[in-house]
Amino acid sequence: MLTGIFLTLMLVFILLICFFRDLLYAAVSLAIGSIILSIILFRYAAHTAAVFELSVCAGLITVLFVSTVSLTKNSDQKVEARLPRYFAPFFLLLFAGLSFLLVNWLTGHMAPATLTFDPPVGFRETFWGTRTTDLLGQISLILAGVFGILAIFRETREGRKHA
Amino acid sequence: MLDEVVLLLFFGFLIFMLGAYLLFSYRNMLRLILGVETMAKGITLVLLAAGVYRDNISLVQTLIVTFIIVETILAAIMLGIVVISQRIYGSLDVRLQSKLRG
Repeated sequence: MLTGIFLTLMLVFILLICFFRDLLYAAVSLAIGSIILSIILFRYAAHTAAVFELSVCAGLITVLFVSTVSLTKNSDQKVEARLPRYFAPFFLLLFAGLSFLLVNWLTGHMAPATLTFDPPVGFRETFWGTRTTDLLGQISLILAGVFGILAIFRETREGRKHA
Repeated sequence: MLDEVVLLLFFGFLIFMLGAYLLFSYRNMLRLILGVETMAKGITLVLLAAGVYRDNISLVQTLIVTFIIVETILAAIMLGIVVISQRIYGSLDVRLQSKLRG
């Protein structure tokens, strides 16, 4: 019951992104959606994931987004939408129907949970023991992100002279 | 338990589709990034549903943490591209990106 209320609240805040004209309001709406998602994660005892969601998605990404909005405020931010804004509720109903059909199909084809039963172990054992190779991927990703940003914002000598 | 899994899956798919709607219906690059982030929230919910169904939250937590890192790097790179694109074209219209074709 409580999960349903939180999920509905999250959906409302995500739907508001389509309606807000101001990008700052849209970013704040997404951040509130992230906060509600972290509450849902916390309720299912996924504490570490909840902390990551709260600090990184609701915090860091929102800060990055707001900084980008303020850096690009001189441009024409109100580029028109391909579809009018009032189409969103109709699409919401269509997507709800599609999701209902998809979930119905999935529940009919889901394998019983007991078939691949693993004894429950803690997050620490799983993260550092079972999924150690994920760490390599994460480190590579972080390095790729750093080098990507450096490549994007690289200034040549000629560029500096012109500046 | 199955009711909660069904609820999580339903909202996960719905939020993913709303993110796809944002991607396809707007031309402003910052709106497109919001769409990608919205899709990521839906995927996180579906991952959580899988963990609740299998009663293996620890494994799903590691996957969600990895996914959050991927999402953050993606957002940082995309926002960097938006800033540079705005400096070059003075606009956030995604159609102008087609000028980048070699």
